[in-house]
Amino acid sequence: MNLATSPLIETNALRALLAREFRAALINRYFQVFCALSLLGGFTAILFSEDQNATGFFVLQIALYFVSLFALLAGVSSAQGEREEWQLLFSQPVPRPAYVVGKFLSLFSIFGAVLLLLFLPALITGSAAPTLALLYAQTLLLAAAFLSLGLAAGFLAHDRAQALIIGVSAWLFLLVGVDLLALFAARWPMFQNVTDLWVAVLMLNPLDAFRIEALFALQQIPAEAANKTPLAAWWIEHAAAWFTLISIFWSAALIAIAGQRLNRWEE
Amino acid sequence: MIAIDRLTKSYAQQAVLRGISFRADPSAITLLVGPNGAGKSTTLKVLAGLIRPNDGLARVNGFDVVVDRIKAQRTLAYLPQSPSFHPLLTCLEVLRFYAGLRGVMKARCEAMLELTGLTDVARVRTGKLSGGMRQRLGLALLLLADAPVLLLDEPGLSLDPAWRKRLQKTLHFEAQRGKTVLVTTHLIAEWNNVADRCLLCRDGAIERELDPTDLPHNFDAPALGSARVSRVGEGVPAFADFSRAMPKACFGETPKPARETRALPGTQ
Repeated sequence: MNLATSPLIETNALRALLAREFRAALINRYFQVFCALSLLGGFTAILFSEDQNATGFFVLQIALYFVSLFALLAGVSSAQGEREEWQLLFSQPVPRPAYVVGKFLSLFSIFGAVLLLLFLPALITGSAAPTLALLYAQTLLLAAAFLSLGLAAGFLAHDRAQALIIGVSAWLFLLVGVDLLALFAARWPMFQNVTDLWVAVLMLNPLDAFRIEALFALQQIPAEAANKTPLAAWWIEHAAAWFTLISIFWSAALIAIAGQRLNRWEE
Repeated sequence: MIAIDRLTKSYAQQAVLRGISFRADPSAITLLVGPNGAGKSTTLKVLAGLIRPNDGLARVNGFDVVVDRIKAQRTLAYLPQSPSFHPLLTCLEVLRFYAGLRGVMKARCEAMLELTGLTDVARVRTGKLSGGMRQRLGLALLLLADAPVLLLDEPGLSLDPAWRKRLQKTLHFEAQRGKTVLVTTHLIAEWNNVADRCLLCRDGAIERELDPTDLPHNFDAPALGSARVSRVGEGVPAFADFSRAMPKACFGETPKPARETRALPGTQ
């Protein structure tokens, strides 16, 4: 049999990509540190929180700042880690976007496992299980969006330094830049009259969407409390569904961009 | 089989390939030689699907490398000039990964490691390998998929003489099995009597075909005197001198007289 034209190539290729990423992540010190910090964060949350609700808030802060940044850095590192191997990799009979998808799926799975270390201590000690389970799922979706951002930055940039600058700048912009920009623009009466515009800007930012959804879920605030504009009311009422949708959209769009970039890449 | 027809490629208005055309047939080793910047590596990268040509046709086993890139890539194996691997993975893991990508039985990985003398370092991370060992791992990857077309870009630069000779024997064996082998090289003297065909590439086109049994005497500095070679000659042996200065002794040949093996001023 001619091995070069084996029909098993397609199914085996994705399996090989996943296995390689898992293996590389397991021996990557970056991920080992992430595991240790997640476990530390999980225990810190239960040790220093006065009640179960406070534990949730503590974990929320870790997810917002620490998980999003780590996911971004993991994506950048993974995309740039084998850049010198691209000649060999891309001469293989595998569609180039498959490398991006393989990386994303394996890193997403690894994050799913590592995030358990962050949430398990609180769950074991009896904190509100349904709320924490929801927060875990949402943190994983947030990680997916920032993994994709890291992968896109890593594949779009020419080198690791450029990728880190692009990635971290995007993270800072989404974390504080969007809000600051909104506050700054709110000084003009022209914008003050279109209140839904601000809501829409916040809705499109995965970090804001996560923050709002998690805060309302943890506080158990009724949607009516934020019923200032029709869009805000709709958002708060469907916050969980909206965050799921927007994080999947960000992940898919960024993976598609990274795949396109790889398709156009030339030695 | 490889068929290239009037292939062109430019970078920022600088033409690298200027209508290069040639064929490389099965059951033969075809050598592509020429000075730096002649377009040898670019031609191989086009064939391997790493570069899109501006114009012209390149076919590997009947598949257009632009239109049917994946199908063409299924029938070829490419060894870059300086192969790099994931530094945290071991030799065996690297081979198993590429075996998975190409749907090759994993048992073949061990056989390739044995063939390339890497069994002892099978579980050593590739980041800790020497340059020669990395080249041998690259050779193992080249042969792993048993692809009918083999493309080698300046192979053996980091190999010791014994392994260079072994590489040639391996390629000769693969050609006898019916494979199409295309090799670019500077080390012309080493490939004398090894290749079945030799094409001289210069300024992005094939200039002429050379006698593969008398390669060192097909060359002299003026014949290869492109501007690029002349500049290189200021500090590095010129192409022809470089090829003559290679260790022929490792092939059991009598070294050339001193006047023919001298290097250019400033190189010794």
